[in-house]
Amino acid sequence: MQPMIIILKEGTDSSQGKSQILSNISACQAVAEAIRTTLGPRGMDKLIVDNRGKPTISNDGATILKLLEIVHPAARTLVDIAKSQDAEVGDGTTSVVLLTAEILKNTKTFIEDGMHSTIIIRAIRKATALTIKKIKEIAVNIKSNDAEEHRALLEKCACTTLSSKLIARQRDFFAKMVVDAVLMLDELLPLNMIGIKKVTGGSLEDSRLIAGVAFKKTFSYAGFEMQRKKYLKPIIALLNIELELKAERDNAEIRLDNVDEYQKIVDAEWSILYNKLEKLYKAGVKVVLSKLPIGDVATQYFADREMFCAGRVQEDDLKRTQKACGGTIITTVENLHEQSQHVFGTCDILEEVQIGSERYNFFTGCPKAQTATMILRGGAEQFIDEVERSLHDAIMIVRRAVKNDSIVAGGGAIEMALSRTLRDYSRTIPGKEQLIIAAYAKAFEVIPRQLCENAGFDATNILNKLRQKHFENHIWFGVDIIHEDVHDNFTAAVWEPAVVKINAITAASEAACLILSVDETIKVPKSSAEPSNAAKAMNMT
Amino acid sequence: MPSIGTLAFDEFGRPVLILKGQESKKRLFGIEAHKSHILAGKAVADTLKTSLGPRGMDKCMVSPDGDITITNDGATILSMMHVENEIGKLLVQLSKSQDDEIGDGTTGVVVLAGALLEHAEALLDKGIHPIRIADGYELAAKIALDHLDKIAESYPLDLTKLDPLINTAMTTLGSKIVSRCQRQMAEIAVNAILNVADMERRDVNFELIKVQGKVGGRLEDTLLVKGVVVDKTFSHPQMPKEVRNAKIAILTCPFEPPKPKTKHKLDITNVEDYKKLREYEKEKFTEMIKSIKDSGTNLVICQWGFDDEANHLLLSHELPAVRWVGGPEIELIAIATGGRIVPRFQELTAEKLGYAGYVRELNFGTTSDHMLCIEQCKKSNTCTIFVRGGNKMIVEEAKRALHDALCVVRNLVRDNRIVYGGGACEISCAIEVAKEANQIPTIEQYAIRAFADALESVPLALAENSGFSPIKTLSDVKSQQIAENNPRLGVDCLNTGTNDMKAQLVIETLIGKRQQISLATQLVRMILKIDDIRLPGESEE
Repeated sequence: MQPMIIILKEGTDSSQGKSQILSNISACQAVAEAIRTTLGPRGMDKLIVDNRGKPTISNDGATILKLLEIVHPAARTLVDIAKSQDAEVGDGTTSVVLLTAEILKNTKTFIEDGMHSTIIIRAIRKATALTIKKIKEIAVNIKSNDAEEHRALLEKCACTTLSSKLIARQRDFFAKMVVDAVLMLDELLPLNMIGIKKVTGGSLEDSRLIAGVAFKKTFSYAGFEMQRKKYLKPIIALLNIELELKAERDNAEIRLDNVDEYQKIVDAEWSILYNKLEKLYKAGVKVVLSKLPIGDVATQYFADREMFCAGRVQEDDLKRTQKACGGTIITTVENLHEQSQHVFGTCDILEEVQIGSERYNFFTGCPKAQTATMILRGGAEQFIDEVERSLHDAIMIVRRAVKNDSIVAGGGAIEMALSRTLRDYSRTIPGKEQLIIAAYAKAFEVIPRQLCENAGFDATNILNKLRQKHFENHIWFGVDIIHEDVHDNFTAAVWEPAVVKINAITAASEAACLILSVDETIKVPKSSAEPSNAAKAMNMT
Repeated sequence: MPSIGTLAFDEFGRPVLILKGQESKKRLFGIEAHKSHILAGKAVADTLKTSLGPRGMDKCMVSPDGDITITNDGATILSMMHVENEIGKLLVQLSKSQDDEIGDGTTGVVVLAGALLEHAEALLDKGIHPIRIADGYELAAKIALDHLDKIAESYPLDLTKLDPLINTAMTTLGSKIVSRCQRQMAEIAVNAILNVADMERRDVNFELIKVQGKVGGRLEDTLLVKGVVVDKTFSHPQMPKEVRNAKIAILTCPFEPPKPKTKHKLDITNVEDYKKLREYEKEKFTEMIKSIKDSGTNLVICQWGFDDEANHLLLSHELPAVRWVGGPEIELIAIATGGRIVPRFQELTAEKLGYAGYVRELNFGTTSDHMLCIEQCKKSNTCTIFVRGGNKMIVEEAKRALHDALCVVRNLVRDNRIVYGGGACEISCAIEVAKEANQIPTIEQYAIRAFADALESVPLALAENSGFSPIKTLSDVKSQQIAENNPRLGVDCLNTGTNDMKAQLVIETLIGKRQQISLATQLVRMILKIDDIRLPGESEE
């Protein structure tokens, strides 16, 4: 009798071989299926309610995949590439997932036919390199010498991104806003210098961009309402100091053996606070912002002296104020005097304004306005959340486009051009790779096809028209969503930065290769947890 | 199968798990999802339909704790209904954001959104792509908004003549329970707003208007106090019940010997020390009284309490005092009386005192309820509306009605353009939109026509609630509007004999109407764009 050798822990789920690759591929396809309909200007949104009952309505591939809570190991790769696309370029998260799934689907038959996956992988790698070369070759470089023209380019890129979102109708409005915001930033284009504030109520067109900083009125103590609500050219001090009457040390205890000392202690505590306040006042500060609370005594002290204060300001707001108004965040007031102006900031106008049911502090006309704040308005919370996500995509795209001004035409045009190039190339090579590259070429067609399907067009018909146009070397022909036809998307200004496509294609190919190269999954069960349903199903067979 | 598309099978036909808790998740997809959204939206809108207009009915809501609320304010009804459905929740937020931004028209906006959804359903059945419907709606909304701007009239905002403002406020109050003393309430609202309005900046700070309610008396007893009313009494029953020419010391320190904030301990080892302590405390009390007396105060308002000893001392020094006054009230009093909040006795000086001409205690009926009323203040830009009513529910509803009226007046201060109510501007927009629809070449045409129909739902509901035959009334008014080219004709809900809303003085603010249309359209777009809902199933645990 042969003794059984147990190597793996009881209940470990292990599957391997060709079948494993195939099942991974079908899992990926199932995931792609879930976000397929969100692509393009006629793409739909998804409403996902998580376990805590929090609803999210989104059109953004990465957001949806994150919320789906995918547990399948291979399918998780797709979530990761969507996330990486999101982090890297911010947009095109749906296309990257679709592309991966399509590449996998087209190679599936070869796996079934017994072709070794390493050959496929090699061919895909080769094709990817070719594709990227081709994109770089045909991408149009728009010169940015002319500021006007450069702006127009950026706005068009932003428009293309926004056209598939909820705010498609208002895309010109928001594209302008996004470009304004990004151009306000400094060389490095730091994302966190664009603040997005959301206030429910109002319509989308009431959203506004503030060249400077705005934040919600912080919690205030009695006395706040007596402060002025508008300051011109104030001197602003940014603090990280608590201005409150409090115990200086939490775990300290004072022992007194004499009543006379009592009053002294009380006075000492007050004078600590008053010294701080007086230092600020003497230095000529008009506006005091602090990350830490500003207590009632301090609020009233400032109100008495025509000063404005806000405590518990969010850290990023404070940082952005610092960027905009200059100065530094001060952690002690000991060294302040009238000459120490360099540590203070200033701006033209500080004003408290009512927005919806909230009151906001606006700092405008800042000398170093390298920061911007968008105030978004809209009918419902989820609505504004989705607008924020859309604008985030647009901001990322514009940032990319500012740095790198080569663009390609969207709407399936670039994909068709690439598909054609690869197909032509595949015919020049003998051997198995020919098939794979042709399949890879076909995978690109998924983008225009899905665009058509989402819009309810006859996809096959449109695709045939496109193929014919591209054969005649009209490389910028893509899907025309409005007229259910094909047209030159370059002249129609459906533009995307080339880098977005390059990144998407690289990520998709790598993910596809990764999934193809896995031939065994070993899943260790959670200790003491009940076996997963898949395992249960296996036990039954 | 509820979760098509998320199931994948491996080579043996076993299902592969892709999503966490996949089997228990619910999914609605495609046209079914749309239908379910529309149904939910319609259901919510239907609940509110009967509350619209001057003949609208109230709803009675019983909270889980058994509290009863009777109201016809859309936002309040929806927020108390605890809507579970996700789409329903969106509508709730819609009305809330109308409330935040405009304060009035919360019912109308939901009815409009419901009607838009209802008409979208018919279009979906025709096979029109949901996004094209949404696009059409937005085109139509633009037409309607432009038309509103055209028919809007600029309203004379003259501070000496309050009648026009009062008329607008009366329109708002017309649909509320307080319509019995409509005129009086409207006057109160107008006076209150003009009292606090900053006409230069066209800004109204609502925090300066306090609405206080007290059960008892009649609605007619509601009054506007140009000053502050606090729900407090003098600390000692023997203190005088009224103070004329009050010089008020506003204190935020307790009436007791000051204590250090740091944890402390006083060791008393002998009788001598104990006596000293006693001496010290006594001395402190006299010192405090003396500092108050020296500053010329004849009324003390204190944020904290004081014990009987202090109370007695105050009485014997003829210093009427009020204790435990909350932070916001302290602030209001300080603003109204022009005083300064004083954090310690040492800082009390004559300049920091507030001044009020007349401070008195109000008594109500036979109950021992008292309230303190501070009038004839130095700066009268704070005011309190004191609402009386037969029972708690009426008082609460009157408060809400006043809030709506206050908002409307504020909006007029901000933007003095108006349109005519009673469905007049909706009918006029509907006519215009329907006319424009014929000039649109694409299939959006259908959606635009549907939008025109949906706009008519407001006058329809008005007519229905007033007991008229809705279709007949509407078609009469419509034909009359076209024949006379008069956009001021609306539904004569109160049977006054004329349906010229200008003659009836039924006036609404332009921004309110604009807001309704754009908010409703944008929200409907969001709902139409969703084609996939995923809900977590009942938790497995």
